[in-house]
Amino acid sequence: MRGKKNPFPLSLWPAKNIMKTLMNKKIPNFIFTNQFGLLCLVLVFIAIFSTVTDGFTSRFNIFALSRVIAIDIMIGLAMMVVILTGGLNLALGAIGVSAAMFGGWCMEIMGIPVIPSIILTLSMGAFLGWVNGIITVKTGVHSFIVTLATMSIYFGFMTMLTEAEAFRRLPELFTDFGSAKLFNKYVSPLLLLSVATCFILFYLFRFTDIGRKLIAAGANPEAAELSGISVSTMFIHCHVLSGLLGALAAIMLTTRIGAAIPSMAGQLGMDWLLPAFLAPVIGGTLLSGGKLSVFGTMLGAVLVTLLTNGLYLLDVGEFWIRFFLGIILLFAVLLDKAREYFTLKSVIVS
Amino acid sequence: MNIKLTSLFKKDWFGLLIVVLISIFIIATIKPTFLSPFNLYVLMVSTSYMLIIALAQMIIIAIGQMNLSVGAIGGLVAISFSGLMEVYQISVPMAVLMGLLIGVGCGFLNGYITVKSGISAFIITLATLYIFKGINLGVTEAEPFYNIPETVKNFGNAKVGNTPIPFLIVIPIVITFLMWIFMNRTETGRHMLAYGNSIQSAELLGISSSKVVISAHVISGLLAAIAGMLVVCRLQLGTPNIGDSWLLPSFAAPVIGGAILAGGKVDVIATALGVLIVAIISQALVIFKIDPFFVQIFLGLMILLAVFVNRYREYKQEVSRKIFNIE
Repeated sequence: MRGKKNPFPLSLWPAKNIMKTLMNKKIPNFIFTNQFGLLCLVLVFIAIFSTVTDGFTSRFNIFALSRVIAIDIMIGLAMMVVILTGGLNLALGAIGVSAAMFGGWCMEIMGIPVIPSIILTLSMGAFLGWVNGIITVKTGVHSFIVTLATMSIYFGFMTMLTEAEAFRRLPELFTDFGSAKLFNKYVSPLLLLSVATCFILFYLFRFTDIGRKLIAAGANPEAAELSGISVSTMFIHCHVLSGLLGALAAIMLTTRIGAAIPSMAGQLGMDWLLPAFLAPVIGGTLLSGGKLSVFGTMLGAVLVTLLTNGLYLLDVGEFWIRFFLGIILLFAVLLDKAREYFTLKSVIVS
Repeated sequence: MNIKLTSLFKKDWFGLLIVVLISIFIIATIKPTFLSPFNLYVLMVSTSYMLIIALAQMIIIAIGQMNLSVGAIGGLVAISFSGLMEVYQISVPMAVLMGLLIGVGCGFLNGYITVKSGISAFIITLATLYIFKGINLGVTEAEPFYNIPETVKNFGNAKVGNTPIPFLIVIPIVITFLMWIFMNRTETGRHMLAYGNSIQSAELLGISSSKVVISAHVISGLLAAIAGMLVVCRLQLGTPNIGDSWLLPSFAAPVIGGAILAGGKVDVIATALGVLIVAIISQALVIFKIDPFFVQIFLGLMILLAVFVNRYREYKQEVSRKIFNIE
């Protein structure tokens, strides 16, 4: 080993330049990030809704909002980890509902205590995700078509086995968690769970070996394979993680409703698709894979839920909400494209 | 003779045709009622609009994209078609024309945004799916239109002569034929396949990508519109939830027909046979009194099976090509 050399030119490091570097690079960089834009949008909409509508800032509304946001964040994260591979998981809703129904069956019919039931539910979700992953990897077919097929298989089996009956007599310990209130009764513990999951995922993708490998496999599969990463294993891991997070989201939804209902994610679990794609796409996760933003996804979910809630309070009507969500998704992707275009331009100019 | 037979075996539709014939034979021997006129009528009715839905998806698969909003366009057209006739008393041909125009408009919107923004069609059509569905529900407030003119109702019930063939299936068959000509014998159709195969090569050959993508989406929207109106004829009412369950079957048929999702390879006849296979087997499950939910599981399993079979055939072809190269 030769002596360590400072890899950076000297002029960059002296103290007088640190301020300059910070001003020139760090702060504008943060301003140009997607997350900053989202944060501003969230704040703007909070300001608008709290002045325009009555009851947006009421304790009841904020509590309800925190529960919905928690679940939407989890759904968004579950889709995000599969988008990382350049694929999709259409079966997310079906996995969630199947896992939740399995959990309900464990608790109500088998009488298994709450904590083991939750573990069983999560493993069920992970298993269903693993099936998706293994089929995708083994056939080499795009995960869209694989998860489209498994979506109807999972959902069909679930409806057949449960005979479309809900499990309504769940243990109180389980349902109490969903109606518990923290911080002067403003916030649901579910939100804390989601935010904690965000931090864990951020740690996973930023600081751990396997997390970096997952990103590398998504960004450039050939290069990753050549540098000794087993891309197939990584893709399967992503699908397992997606199933796990989907099951977690479904558990949260079950505690919120207080029952495990087969239709809680709509026909074939399709009602989850829009929030699942909205949050990561708005948050700056690339659909072609290899780039993700955990906190962007979180802010995306917050933004979407805020808008939905605000539109309800503005009496837009239940039926037009879908229309607006579609428009929002469209504008979000177009804005993202425009942002990309302008940031590229500024790089070329400077 | 031998050479002709082997070239037949290589066609996508040939294997499917054999599957269709064998499954009809097996089902008919176990349950002779399968071939009763009533049952054939039901089979053909369900095939009729599914055929058009599958073609609407197939043409987008041909250019290597996907269209999630097929069902939403169909639903929007269905309720506009019935709503225009019921609420505004517009004559039937005018309402059909308006329906087709709405379909074309929706398809144009999909294609235009996709090609101008360069964002994947998946996300664009997911967004427009909710936009179209939102308009649909916002306008109807989830209430169906019941007062459909008698002409439309009669069309939905009409049969060709004294045969059990429903009149509804005539239009899809004509459209399938036209689509075959379009994909195999016209310049634009071939351009679409070239574009689906390799965007770069297509551009270098001077094929305009915006023209290809927009026309594919417009045709898809048009077909979805026709399917939506046929469903109104069949159900005799225009409900807002028409189109909700089209997504899975729309992909099932082309994939069973050997279409490659990356684009560039679709087969109209094989897609039509794919629709037929799905319809026959779903019908058989009903005849054998199997749980209706099983039909869904079955559809998923069919897609997976088709995926495996296609993969196996590709593998075989690769192997034979390698051997050929060595010689």
